[in-house]
Amino acid sequence: MLLRLLPRFGTVFAGLLLLLFFAAFAENFASLGNLAVILKETSFLAIIAIGFALALTTAELDLSVADVASLAAVTTGALIQGGSAPAVAVLAGLGVGLGAGLLNGFAVTVLKVPSLIATLGTAAIAKGLGFMLTQGVAFVGRWPRDFTGLARGSLLGVSNLIWWMAGIAFLAWLLLKWTRTGLHMVATGEADEAARLAGIRTGRMKRLGLALAGLMAGILAVLMAASLSSAAPGMAGDHFLYAIAAVLLGMTMIEPGRPNIPGTLVAAFMLKTLGNGLVLLGAPYYAQDIALGVIIIGSVALSSTVMRRAAFTKKLNFRMGG
Amino acid sequence: MSEPLLSLHGIGKSYGAVEAVRGVDLDIRAGEVLALCGDNGAGKSSLVKIIAGAQPQTTGTLRLRGAAVTFHSPQDALRHGIATIYQDLALAPRLSIAQNIFLGSELTHGPFGLPFPRLLDKRGMMAAAREFLQRLNLPLADMATPVERLSGGQRQAVAIARALRWQAELIIMDEPTAALGVKETAEVLGLIRRLNAEGKTVLLVSHNMADVCAVATRVAIMKAGRKAVDRPIAGLDPDTLAHMVMTGQENAGQHLPAGRGSMTAL
Repeated sequence: MLLRLLPRFGTVFAGLLLLLFFAAFAENFASLGNLAVILKETSFLAIIAIGFALALTTAELDLSVADVASLAAVTTGALIQGGSAPAVAVLAGLGVGLGAGLLNGFAVTVLKVPSLIATLGTAAIAKGLGFMLTQGVAFVGRWPRDFTGLARGSLLGVSNLIWWMAGIAFLAWLLLKWTRTGLHMVATGEADEAARLAGIRTGRMKRLGLALAGLMAGILAVLMAASLSSAAPGMAGDHFLYAIAAVLLGMTMIEPGRPNIPGTLVAAFMLKTLGNGLVLLGAPYYAQDIALGVIIIGSVALSSTVMRRAAFTKKLNFRMGG
Repeated sequence: MSEPLLSLHGIGKSYGAVEAVRGVDLDIRAGEVLALCGDNGAGKSSLVKIIAGAQPQTTGTLRLRGAAVTFHSPQDALRHGIATIYQDLALAPRLSIAQNIFLGSELTHGPFGLPFPRLLDKRGMMAAAREFLQRLNLPLADMATPVERLSGGQRQAVAIARALRWQAELIIMDEPTAALGVKETAEVLGLIRRLNAEGKTVLLVSHNMADVCAVATRVAIMKAGRKAVDRPIAGLDPDTLAHMVMTGQENAGQHLPAGRGSMTAL
C-alpha cells in the first residue's frame, strides 16, 4: 500500500517531515503568525508557478514570467501613482501580462521560434521596458485602499492573498482536469502529433498555455504592487527560479511526471517553508540559493526516476492482473 | 458485387519531377477488406495519404458513393467517414484508454444537470469506451489505464475503437501488425475480422503476405506508381502473393518455382 502511494505522495511526505523538522528545531517556526507569513509568501509564488505550469502543460517553457510580472507591476504602479482609477491600473497590469503571453504564443506557434528562445527574448524586452518606464526608480506612495485592499484585506479571517491563490488554483485545476480545453492542452503537451491528428488545434492550445502564463504574471504583479504599495523594476525577479522549482518539484508528486496544480501548490508551500525555516535557523543567506539549485536538479532526476519506477510497477501489476 | 464506397479515377501524385503515383483507378467496395500491397517506393503510401486526406492528389478525382470529393485534411476525411489508423497508432501514451478513444470529440455535461459550465463526462466516456472495446471482443477492466501500459495488440484495439467512435465507414490501417509478436498479430487480425463483420470497410496496407491472405477479400498491388494487380484474394497463398508484389504481374505466381518466394515482401 505504502509502496503504491510513494510515487504520488513521496514528496508530500518529505514536505511534512520538513515541517516537523523546522517545528522542532527552528524557534517561532510553528507560531500562527509565522505560518501566515509562509502562506502569504506561498500565494505569490503559487500564482506565478501555476502560470508556468499551464504553459509547460502544453510542452512550452515560459522563462519570461518574472520579468513580465515586473513590467506589469511598474505599469500598474505608474498609473496608480499618476492618479488613475485602481480598476484602470489593475486592467493595465493584467493587460501587460496577457499581452506578453500572447506575444510569446505568436512567436512560438506562428514564427516558430522555440519557446526557450522566444520567452528569453520577451524577458529581456520586458526588463528593458521596465527600466525605461521607471528610469530605475521605484514607484512608492500612499496608494488608495481600493487598490491595496486587493492584497492586504482579508475575508473570514483569511488573507485575500490566500483567497486569490485558492481561487486561481481551483480554476486552473478545473480547467486541466475537467474541461475539454484542459484535456486538449494536456494532450498537446503529451503527444503533439497524436493530438493534431485527433483534430485538436495544438497551436491554439500552446497559445492559450502561454497567454495564461502571461495573465498569471499580470495577476502576481497587481497583487505584489497592492501588497507592498510600491512597484520597482525587477521586483518579481526572485520568483523566476522559485516558480520553475515549484513546478518541477510539483511534478514529482500527485501526478508524477506531469505539471499539475495540486503538486505545484504543495511544492510552492514547501519551498517557502524551506526558505523561512532556514532563515529562522540562522542559515547564511546563500543557503537558500544552494538549496533551490539542488531542488531543481533533484526534482527533475526524481521525477524521471519515479516515472520509470511507477511505469514499471504498474506495468507489472497490470500484466499480472493487479 | 457491392457498389464502390470510394472510387479513385486517374489519381496521380508528383513531388517535383518525381511521379510517385501514376493514373491509378481503384474501387473500394463497401464491406470489403482490401489489401494494398507493394514494394517500398511503389506509391502505396502516397496513395493512402491522398485517401486519408493527408495530402492532395496532383491529378484525378475521388468519388465517395458516386459524388466527387476533395479531402483537405485528415479531419476532413474523417468527417466523410474515412479514418486512418497510422503505423505509430497516433495515440497519446500517457492518456487513458477512454481519453484516447474520445480524444478530440470528448463527451461533456453540465454539473448537477445545469447547462453550464460544460465539464468532461468522465463516467460516460469510460462506459462508452468499455462498450467500444467489448464490440471488438477485447474487454479491458480499467478504462483509466494509460495506453502506455497496454500491449501492442491492445493499443491497436484502442486505435480501432477510436475509429468506431468516429463512426468511420472506411478504416485505413497502415501496417497494423508491423511491430507485433505472433500472439498480438493474431489478436489484431481478429480485430480486423470483427470490424469487417460489423460492416466496416477496411483498407489494409501491409507488407505481411500471410496477414493479407488471412483477412483480405481483395488485393491491389502497386508497382512503380501504377496499380499492377487488382483481384480477389481467393486462390492466392502468401508465397504467390509475395512473388506478385515483387514482379508486379498477376500471373507471375503461376510460374513460381517450388520453394521460392517469401511470406514477407521486402
